[in-house]
Amino acid sequence: MNMRRTLMISKKLFWSLKHDRRSVALIIIAPIMSMLIFGLAFSGDVENVNVIIVNYDQGGNVPGMNTTISLSERVIDNIDEDTLVLSYGDDIDEAVKKVEDGSANSVIIFPENFTRNLLSFAQGSPVDEAETIEIRSDQSQVTLSQEVMATVLEALIETTESSGFSNPLKIDTSDPIYGEGAEFLDMFVPGIMGFIVFLLTTILTLISFVGEKTGGTLHRLLASSVTEGEIVVGYAISFSIIGMAQVGILMGIAILVFDIMVVGNPLLAFLIASILAVVSVSLGILLSSLAKRESQAIQFYPLIVLPGFLLSGVFWPIEAMPLWLRPVSYFIPVTYAVNGLRAVLLRGWGVLDIWFELMMLIIFAIVFLLLAILSLRRTSKA
Amino acid sequence: MNAIEIRGLKKYYGKVKAVDGLDLTVPTGVVFGLLGPNGSGKTTLIKVLCHLLKPDSGVAEVLGIPVKGRSYLPRIGYMPQEIALYEDMTVHDNLKLFAGIYGLDRVTFKRREKEVLTTIDLLERKDFPLSDLSGGQKHRISLAVSMIHEPEILFLDEPTVGVDPLLRAVFWKNFHDLKKKGVTIIMSTHYMDEARNCDIIGMMRAGKLIDEGSPDEILKRTGKDNLEDAFLDIVKRGASS
Ligand SMILES: Nc1ncnc2c1ncn2[C@@H]1O[C@H](COP(=O)(O)OP(=O)(O)O)[C@@H](O)[C@H]1O
Ligand SMILES: [Mg+2]
Repeated sequence: MNMRRTLMISKKLFWSLKHDRRSVALIIIAPIMSMLIFGLAFSGDVENVNVIIVNYDQGGNVPGMNTTISLSERVIDNIDEDTLVLSYGDDIDEAVKKVEDGSANSVIIFPENFTRNLLSFAQGSPVDEAETIEIRSDQSQVTLSQEVMATVLEALIETTESSGFSNPLKIDTSDPIYGEGAEFLDMFVPGIMGFIVFLLTTILTLISFVGEKTGGTLHRLLASSVTEGEIVVGYAISFSIIGMAQVGILMGIAILVFDIMVVGNPLLAFLIASILAVVSVSLGILLSSLAKRESQAIQFYPLIVLPGFLLSGVFWPIEAMPLWLRPVSYFIPVTYAVNGLRAVLLRGWGVLDIWFELMMLIIFAIVFLLLAILSLRRTSKA
Repeated sequence: MNAIEIRGLKKYYGKVKAVDGLDLTVPTGVVFGLLGPNGSGKTTLIKVLCHLLKPDSGVAEVLGIPVKGRSYLPRIGYMPQEIALYEDMTVHDNLKLFAGIYGLDRVTFKRREKEVLTTIDLLERKDFPLSDLSGGQKHRISLAVSMIHEPEILFLDEPTVGVDPLLRAVFWKNFHDLKKKGVTIIMSTHYMDEARNCDIIGMMRAGKLIDEGSPDEILKRTGKDNLEDAFLDIVKRGASS
């Protein structure tokens, strides 16, 4: 392995990027685009869900006082009006029709005895179960209907508390262990990072390697005393740099545009990205040995994208996968990169805490590099 | 020492006998032309000599070094049949890449870049990306790249295919200039008449060398007045004997 020749191969990539707008656009714009798309799609809280309230509550007398109160009115007052847009109806069937035709998500029904039941419950009397709040939702929109339920529950708890009732059930989530202030999107950021570096590096390497083979430059390089190992390592070096730049861009957008807190050491994130890039370069080279033309190479895209996308825990945790499928994700290098990036960026873990992920990535990198060199040796001298 | 020594060389692609038991000696400092129709095995032979294909059997030496190793590679130059350059890189960067690979220092590279670009008359296109050049211009750059490091032997695979007559004359003048400096040139061509400019020609057919000698010798031996007729004559006699 000659360092001078290896570095020339690395530099070559950057020289050609000066005039290759297509690849530059892919390298820079793809992370920005995907970040913005995911960011806008997932960052906002659920807002403005249409619900219809049908209130049959007759109110009730507080023991020892002569006034009639309506606890349902208080609950309704306590509903967060940014989340739910309230309208009122008297007829359940009519309201349900509106849910059916999609103009509302849920119907919230307060029964006749709502206040009376709640009052007697507060005094320790048993309560008829059928006589509590009923929520009928469009369950095909799970996220929305869950949000409706949560909002109503919140309003209910607030009402009982402010009315001086003791609460039978209380869950306090105000003191998280990790991810304080983290939102839904935060979890995606490391996933997007790992995915973009993996996807773009593999595809760009695949395309440029098929080009080197069909265009004859691979042979020109080999005849000028460059070895297969130097070519592979040269590519790996330049794509590591590009991978780190992409992670930098993604982190920048996350912090500046989406106000996401990065608690960990960014250098560790760069390290993970660069090792993932080495793995991806090797994979691209391996795939290029299966393709004779660029058009054939394109057929491999789904092969790269799908497992990386679906099984690596990029967008949902591996724990949410069926048990029999989980072992597959342990053979996908992106899995370790995404786990490592999450641990570093969201939990602020250090090198010692993610040693397992780092070790797995390094093993993948070494094995894939060797395989890439071997396959290149085999195909280049057919 | 001879520039090239080949004994019993064979290279098969499955059943296709691209090079089929070939013996050849090329002395240093000559322009040697591999002459043969398409598919006769010229490219395969050149690739074996440039360490790009492993021979199935036989031995080949370049500059006295067996082609099994790669230690002789920095001393040779190779111009592939296709353009084989980076389209997204400038002429300058393409030259710089290969100069860097060969380890030319900055000063030497500057001098050589000016020399080779002047030779092919493209000095003013130095900072153009390859994709902005014409086919003929890329062809000239390809030649320039293969000789940036002043190799002792230049392997040129069909360097004059698709090259207009004016440019062809430039190429030939350049080959003879290089020869004067002691460079050995091994070139392939399927233009029979062009081979007259070579010092020695080797005629190839179906992976075998069917005749070898200076153009004048071959013409005299066959009693023909052009190499195309001579080639046909040699093929005919080979078939009947
Ligand atoms: N990679 C390859 N696989 C299979 N056959 C090949 C390959 N390259 C060349 N050939 C065959 O080998 C023979 C010699 O080819 P080549 O050396 O390119 O001839 P030339 O350069 O004289 O035109 C031809 O029959 C060609 O079809
Ligand atoms: Mg050929």
